[in-house]
Amino acid sequence: MIGPDLADVKLLWPELILLTMSLGLILSASRIRKGLKASTATLVAGFASILVYRWPLVEGARAGFGDMIIIDNYSQFFKVLIASALILIVLLSARRVETDNVRAGEYYALLLLASIGMMLAVSSTDLIPLYLGLELTTICSYILVGTTVERRTSNEAATKYFLLSAFTSALLLYGIALIYGTTGSTSFDAVASFFSGTEGGNNKLILMAIGLVVAGLAFKIAAVPFHSWAPDAYEGASAPIAAFLATASKAAGLAVLGRICISAFSEESHLLSLILATMAALSIIVGSIIAISQTNIKRLLAYSSISHAGYALLGLLPGTAEGISATMTYVFIYVFMTLGAFGVVTALGRRGERIDGYEGLARQQPVTALLMLIFLLALTGIPPTGGFIAKFVVILSALNAGYFTLAVLAVACSVVSAFVYLRVAVLMYMKEPQMDEAPGYPIMISAVLLLSALVTVIGGILPSVLNFWEAVP
Amino acid sequence: MTTYPLLTITTFLPFLGAIAVLLFSSQRSARWIALLTTIATLSATAPLYWNFDKSSSDLQFVESVEWIPAWGVSYGLGLDGISLPFVLLAAILSILCVSGSWTAIDTRAKEFYAALLIAETAMIGLFAATNLFLFYVFWELMIIPLFLIIGVWGGPKRIYAAIKFLIFTLSGSVLMLVGMIALYQVSGTLNFKELTIAQFQTEFQVWIFIAFLAAFSVKVPMFPVHTWLPDAHTEAPTAGSVILAGILLKMGAYGFLRISIPILDEALQIFLKPMLIVSVVAIVYGAYVTLVQTDLKRLIAFSSISHMGFVTLGIFTLNQSGVEGAILQMINHGIVSAALFLCVGMIYERTHTREIKDYGGVGKLAPIYSVLLAIFCLAAAGFPGMNAFIGEFLIISGAYETAMWLGVMAIWGVALGSAYIVWLYYRVVMGKTNAKIEGINLELNAREIATLAPLVLLVLYLGLQPDLVLSYLHAPVTELLTTAGVTQ
Repeated sequence: MIGPDLADVKLLWPELILLTMSLGLILSASRIRKGLKASTATLVAGFASILVYRWPLVEGARAGFGDMIIIDNYSQFFKVLIASALILIVLLSARRVETDNVRAGEYYALLLLASIGMMLAVSSTDLIPLYLGLELTTICSYILVGTTVERRTSNEAATKYFLLSAFTSALLLYGIALIYGTTGSTSFDAVASFFSGTEGGNNKLILMAIGLVVAGLAFKIAAVPFHSWAPDAYEGASAPIAAFLATASKAAGLAVLGRICISAFSEESHLLSLILATMAALSIIVGSIIAISQTNIKRLLAYSSISHAGYALLGLLPGTAEGISATMTYVFIYVFMTLGAFGVVTALGRRGERIDGYEGLARQQPVTALLMLIFLLALTGIPPTGGFIAKFVVILSALNAGYFTLAVLAVACSVVSAFVYLRVAVLMYMKEPQMDEAPGYPIMISAVLLLSALVTVIGGILPSVLNFWEAVP
Repeated sequence: MTTYPLLTITTFLPFLGAIAVLLFSSQRSARWIALLTTIATLSATAPLYWNFDKSSSDLQFVESVEWIPAWGVSYGLGLDGISLPFVLLAAILSILCVSGSWTAIDTRAKEFYAALLIAETAMIGLFAATNLFLFYVFWELMIIPLFLIIGVWGGPKRIYAAIKFLIFTLSGSVLMLVGMIALYQVSGTLNFKELTIAQFQTEFQVWIFIAFLAAFSVKVPMFPVHTWLPDAHTEAPTAGSVILAGILLKMGAYGFLRISIPILDEALQIFLKPMLIVSVVAIVYGAYVTLVQTDLKRLIAFSSISHMGFVTLGIFTLNQSGVEGAILQMINHGIVSAALFLCVGMIYERTHTREIKDYGGVGKLAPIYSVLLAIFCLAAAGFPGMNAFIGEFLIISGAYETAMWLGVMAIWGVALGSAYIVWLYYRVVMGKTNAKIEGINLELNAREIATLAPLVLLVLYLGLQPDLVLSYLHAPVTELLTTAGVTQ
C-alpha cells in the first residue's frame, strides 16, 4: 500500500484529541491570562483521550499507516498510563504555573505535545515513527525543563539536558541508519525476519546497530551509563516537570524498549539480554548507592528513578511475554508511586526541595507525612504496597532468565535504597520540626496525592484489579 | 467448625482499631480504643482455643480465597498446634503493651497506638499464614511499625537503634524474598503444604536454605548477627521491647519450623551441625556477655540471645522432646522477657535511670514490685515450678539425645543464666537503699499490678501444667519430624 489511508486516522483517537487541544492552546496562547483555563482544557483533553482508548481496538489489534503504527492492548495500556500521568502532572502544575509566571498556554500545549510523542512512540512498529515520536517528546521536554526562565538552575539544566540528549538522539539515528543499510527496511518485522535468516547473527554491523539503538533508548529511561543528565535536569526543572520526565517519559521509553525486544530483536535475545542485564545491574547499583549522599530531594528521586529503571529492565531479560508483563506491572506501579513522591515535593513548595525540609513533618502535617511514608515504602518495595508486587514480578523474571546473581544483587541494593528512602522517613517522624509550617496546598495537589496513594496501596493488596497480563504485544 | 472467617477477623480487628485510632480519637482517647481493640482481639481468639482439635496435625480454621490468580497465590489462613499458642501469646502481649504504655507514652499517642495495633495484625497474620507469600507480607509489615515505635518513642540513641534494626532485618528478608521467588519459580506454588510435598534438588535446597537462614537468623537472632538486638531492645519504649522480645524474635524460629525443616529437608541435614554449634555458642556467649552488663534493659536484651540459643538448639536437635521444648520455650521466653521488660519499664518511668548501680534496696521501698520481680527472675533462671524450667528441661534432654556435649554446654548456659539473673536481683532489690532512688515512690499502682498479674499466672500455671501448651504440640511436631525425614 502506498501512502496512508485516511481511514487509518481514526486509529489515533487519543492522540488526535490531545493534538487538537494543544493546537487550540497554542493559537490562543497570547489571550490566555489565567492558568486555570488552560489547565482545565488540558485536563479535559487528557480525560477524553483515556475515555476513547478502546475505540481503535473494537475490531482487535490493528496495524495502520502502512504498518508503521500498531494499535494493540500493549500500546493502549501505555497510552492510558501516559494520559493518566499527564492528568496528574497538570493537577500538580497549577500552582507552580501561577507563582513562577510561566506562560500557561504554551506550558500546557508543550505537555500535550510531549504526551502525543510518547503515545506515538509506544504504538510504533517501525523505527521512523518511533524516532519521530521520541524526538517530539524530548524537544518539548527541553523547553519544559527550562520553562522558568528567570531561574539560572533551570536554564543550566535545560542546556545540559539538550546537549546530552542531542548526542544520544544522534546515536539512535545512526543505529537506525545502520539497520536500514543492512536490512533495507526500518520496520520491526523486516528486521526480525532478517535476523532469522542465515547471516543475521554474524553481521557485526547489525550488532553495532542494536547497541546504538539500545543506547539511544537507555538515555530516555536514564539507565546507567546514560543517566548523567537525570539528576541535573530534575533538580533544575520544577517538581511537576521532573515528575513528568521521571514517570511518563520513562514509561514510554521502557514500553518502546519492550516492544523492540520482543518483536524486532527477538532472534538476538541472548545478546540483547546481556546488554540489558549489564545496564540493569549498573543502574541499580549506581542509582541506589549515589542516592545516599544526596541532600536535594529531587536529585535523590532522580537517582531513585535511575535504579528503578534498572529494576524495570529486569523484566525484559527473559524476552518472553511474561517478562514484558512484569515490566508493565513495574512501570505502572512505579509511575504512581513516583508521582506521589514528587507530588509531596510539590505540595511542600520551597521547603520540599531540600531533604532537611522534611524534619518534623509528621508533627506539622501528619497526613502529608503518612502519604509520603506510603510512597517511600512503595519505592523501597515493602509490602503491602504495590512496590512489593512490582519488585516480586521483575525478580521472578530475572530468575526465569537465569540471572540468579543479578537477582541477589538487585535485592541487596534494595536494602541500600531502603536506607535512602527511610532516611526521609526518619526526618519526618523522628526529628523535631526546624522550619515554620509550610502553607497548605490546593485541593488539586491533595487529589493527586490521594489518588497515587490509592493506586499504590491497591496495587499491593489487590494486584489482580490492575489486570493487564493480557496486554502483552 | 465455625462458619464465619474467624482468623481473618482476629487478624484484621487490630488493623481496624488502628484506623479508628487514627481517624476518630483524640490523643487521650486513643489508648482506650487501643485497649478495647486488643481485648476484643483476645476474645476473638477464644473460640480458636475451644474448638481446636488437638489430636490432628492438620491446619484448622482454614480460610482460603483466591488472591492473585495469575500466580496461583491465595489468601490463606489456618492454624495448627504449633501456631495456635503464638497467636494467643501475641493477643495477650498486645493488651499488656497497651496497658504498660498507659502513662509512659504521652507524646503523639495516636500514632503510637496505631503502630502498635498494626504490629499486632502483622504478628497474628504471620502465625496464621498458610502460604509463603502471605507469610512474607506479614513479615515485612511487622518491620515498619516497630521501626517507628523504636525511632519515635525510644530512648536517647533511638534513631541509631531504629536504623540498625531496619537495615539488619531488611538485609535478611530481601534474601528471603529471592529464596521465595526461586522456590516459586521451580515448584510453581507458594503454599506451605504443597511446597512440603514438592521435591527439590539438594544443591538448590542448599541455596534456598541459606537465603531463608539469612532472614530467620537475623530475627532470632542467632550468634554473629545478633548485634542489632541489644540496641533495639534497649532504646525501644517498653511496649516496643515487649513486642520485640515477646513475638518478633519468635518469628525467626517459627520460620525454621514452617519452612526450613519441612521443605528443605536435605539441606537441613547438611546445615544441622553448624546450626547446633552456633546455638550453643549463642547460649554460652550470650550468658557471659549478659553477666557484665550494667544497664537493666541491655542485660535483659542480652539474656534473650542466650535464651533464643536454647530455642534454636532445641529445634535443630530434631527430636520430639527437643522441638517441643523449643516451642514451649519460645512461649515461655515470650512471657518472661515481656514481664521483665515491663518491670524495668515501670521502674524506669519513676527513676529515669536504667543503670544498675543507681538501684539497690528497692525491696524496702516497693515490696509488691520486688515479689513480682522475684517471680519473673526465678522463672528466667529456670527455677522448677516455673514455666521456663519445663522448656529448658525438654531442650536439654533432647540435646543429650543428639550429642552429649550439647547437653553439657546447655547446662553450662543454665548455670550462667541463674548467675546473672540472681546477681541482677541482688543488686537491684537487696542491700542498702541507694541514695539516688530514695524518696521516689517506687511501688506499683493498681494498673501496673493488673498488667503483670496475668503474666504471673501464666508463669506459674505453665510451670505446673505445661500440658496446656504441650498437648497441642504432640501431633504437629510428630508430623513435622516425619516430613523432615527424621526417624524416631
